[in-house]
Amino acid sequence: MSTAVSLGRIRKLKNALALTIAMIAMLFGLFWLIWILATTVELGVASFSWRLFTEMTPPPGSEGGGLANAIAGSLILISLATIVGTPIGIFAGVYLAEYGKHTWLGHTTRFVNDLLLSAPSIIIGLFVYDIYVARVGHFSAMSGVVALALIVIPVVVRTTENMLQLVPNTLREAASALGAPRWAVIGKVTLKASLAGIMTGIMLAVARISGETAPLLFTSLSNQFWTLDMNKPMASLPATIFKFAMSPFKEWQQLAWAGVFLITLGVLTLNILARILFRNKHKQ
Amino acid sequence: MATMTEHVSKRFDSELESLRSRVMQMGGLVETQITRAIEAFVAGDMDRMEQVIGDDDQVNSLEVSIDDDCAHIIARRQPTAGDLRMVMAVSKIVTDLERIGDEAAKIARMAREIYKRDRLQMPRLTEIRTVGDIGVNMLRDVLDAFVRLDVTNATRIIREDMAVDDHFRGILRQLITYMMEDPRTISTALDIIFIAKAIERIGDHAKNIAEDVIYIVKGTDVRHIAIEQVERHALSGDA
Amino acid sequence: MKIDKESIMQSTTGTDLETQIAFRNFNFYYGKYKALRNINLDIYKRRVTAFIGPSGCGKSTLLRTINRMYELYPDQHSEGELLLDGVDILGKGTDLNALRARIGMVFQKPTPFPMSIYDNIAFGVKLHERLSRVDMDDRVEWSLRKAALWNEVADKLNQSGMSLSGGQQQRLCIARGIAVKPQVLLLDEPTSALDPISTMRIEELVSELKDEFTIVIVTHNMQQAARVSDFTAYMYLGELVEVGRTDDVFIKPTDKRTEDYITGRFG
Repeated sequence: MSTAVSLGRIRKLKNALALTIAMIAMLFGLFWLIWILATTVELGVASFSWRLFTEMTPPPGSEGGGLANAIAGSLILISLATIVGTPIGIFAGVYLAEYGKHTWLGHTTRFVNDLLLSAPSIIIGLFVYDIYVARVGHFSAMSGVVALALIVIPVVVRTTENMLQLVPNTLREAASALGAPRWAVIGKVTLKASLAGIMTGIMLAVARISGETAPLLFTSLSNQFWTLDMNKPMASLPATIFKFAMSPFKEWQQLAWAGVFLITLGVLTLNILARILFRNKHKQ
Repeated sequence: MATMTEHVSKRFDSELESLRSRVMQMGGLVETQITRAIEAFVAGDMDRMEQVIGDDDQVNSLEVSIDDDCAHIIARRQPTAGDLRMVMAVSKIVTDLERIGDEAAKIARMAREIYKRDRLQMPRLTEIRTVGDIGVNMLRDVLDAFVRLDVTNATRIIREDMAVDDHFRGILRQLITYMMEDPRTISTALDIIFIAKAIERIGDHAKNIAEDVIYIVKGTDVRHIAIEQVERHALSGDA
Repeated sequence: MKIDKESIMQSTTGTDLETQIAFRNFNFYYGKYKALRNINLDIYKRRVTAFIGPSGCGKSTLLRTINRMYELYPDQHSEGELLLDGVDILGKGTDLNALRARIGMVFQKPTPFPMSIYDNIAFGVKLHERLSRVDMDDRVEWSLRKAALWNEVADKLNQSGMSLSGGQQQRLCIARGIAVKPQVLLLDEPTSALDPISTMRIEELVSELKDEFTIVIVTHNMQQAARVSDFTAYMYLGELVEVGRTDDVFIKPTDKRTEDYITGRFG
């Protein structure tokens, strides 16, 4: 009886200890996160104004100016990279999960994709510089799109594959049992079942490339001025932030914080939007 | 069927085992009843006759309670195959045993009637004793066949019932002769005919039980078919 | 009681037994492992045939060969003959999708597709037929009525199939299967994830559907096999031990192994 009581006490102690450690770890992580967010909001809000959206990036040392060209550039680069990268990623993910599961090509693709997923983005930038920028002879927005797409693809491939693997096999069997050909099983049933997960993956990819700087430095570079020409260098928020934050000019530094704030806000909005969108879809 | 492995559920095993042993208990009681009734009749022992009549209640309540056990097993265990046949057969066997008990009581009552009268005219007691012994032996054998699930003996008992019927007809003929020779014996003779008839009925019930044993083992219902066919069914295949 | 008995007699005796599916010297392999050995079995038209046996005996495997479900897995293959209406369906020339349109299947766990109740049913139909909107509406209603689900979902056909209860989902899957108008319905432990009342509904449904479909059901529940089937096949270790009329199998099985299993002596 007494051993049972003491065993119970030890178990309770262990439980309390584990819980405490977990709480400390959680608080540690949360602390930095909140600090970062607080700094961003504090400095960002301070330098926030509507001019950011209407005026171009200012020359060094001058008062005023905004981030209009950088915002537009970022939007163009991100959306094009997503439009190019997502279908490729989804198709490759479908191949890995549904067709090439145990094939040699499948294993190889999966391995290479994992490498690409964990590769530092600067390497991707350098790679695109070498095969595109160096050959064409000048920096261009298009090469930036290629570099960002190369970052989008492995993320989407991975999530698509994982999400499709989560679809129970019985669902595939059920669709096949009705006499559905392979494409219909995948297109109408399994992809549909994993849509929410795949969309989350795409969001994740978009969030990731929203903040990428390194690859853009080698590709789309930056541009002081407004341009929509894909063959010219194009401004983007991360590249501009990089340039302005490193500069000695007070105005530029403030604009950099405003840019950081905008990206954070953008990614946050995107996430919330995605959640609302999918909650509604599921309720229906 | 000869050797059955145990059920996964040990309780089911023990329920079936207890069912079988309660049938044997009832069978033993019924056997005692007949033996006593016939002995009392032969010896004119009035006390024993009363005892037999009184003990019939025990037989009746055993029938009710074993039948209840069968219903419980069916409701709770949903027996199948050999188990199902066993439970179904037990339910029929206890009915036959109860009837045999009734016949024993009937014999005792008839004997009481005879002995209350003047027992001057008492023909052919030995013959009754012989056929009574055959009846008791049949019952004993059929209970034995039930416990051992012995189809060969069960089949033999079905054939033996025909011998009991023959005996009964013999007794009947002789008693009719008596009655014609000496009309004073008529009322006693009639009572004795009833006793003989009761013993003949015991043979019929024993035969029914034998058929139930064949059903348990073989799954074939051998009621209402010719004895040769019964033998063919019973002795075919793996027994 | 009397009527009941007669209908049972009619459905299980009678001389109008017609073979719909026949296994002849059939073997099945998972890779090199021989999972089914020398199966010879007739499944009769418009009768319910139940496969029973302990876990891993091959009853589900056998069921899944009938619509060649194993084709989804490259390391599985079969040997011998499997005849559907007298035609061997194991050959390379068999159009699997057409075959599966003739053989519906319902699984252990309900598998509603992530779409509306209506689309769940229309999905299969659209694969094989071109129907006008009105005809499709009729077909959806017909199959839902057949599956005894219409009254419960008539006013929410646009809701997701996932929003139904487990028992309803399973009936939706049955409706989806019969909407394609197959000849055979394969049920792979269709009630093992359901509560007793839902189970009874499905069993009731099975006995109604057998007027039109040949039904093969795999079940762990022996009483269920006894209740719903006309024929019972007992399988053990990949072999067909005994097959016969359900009454015979449950009252006097001929094989000791069958007897041990159905009386609960399996050790």
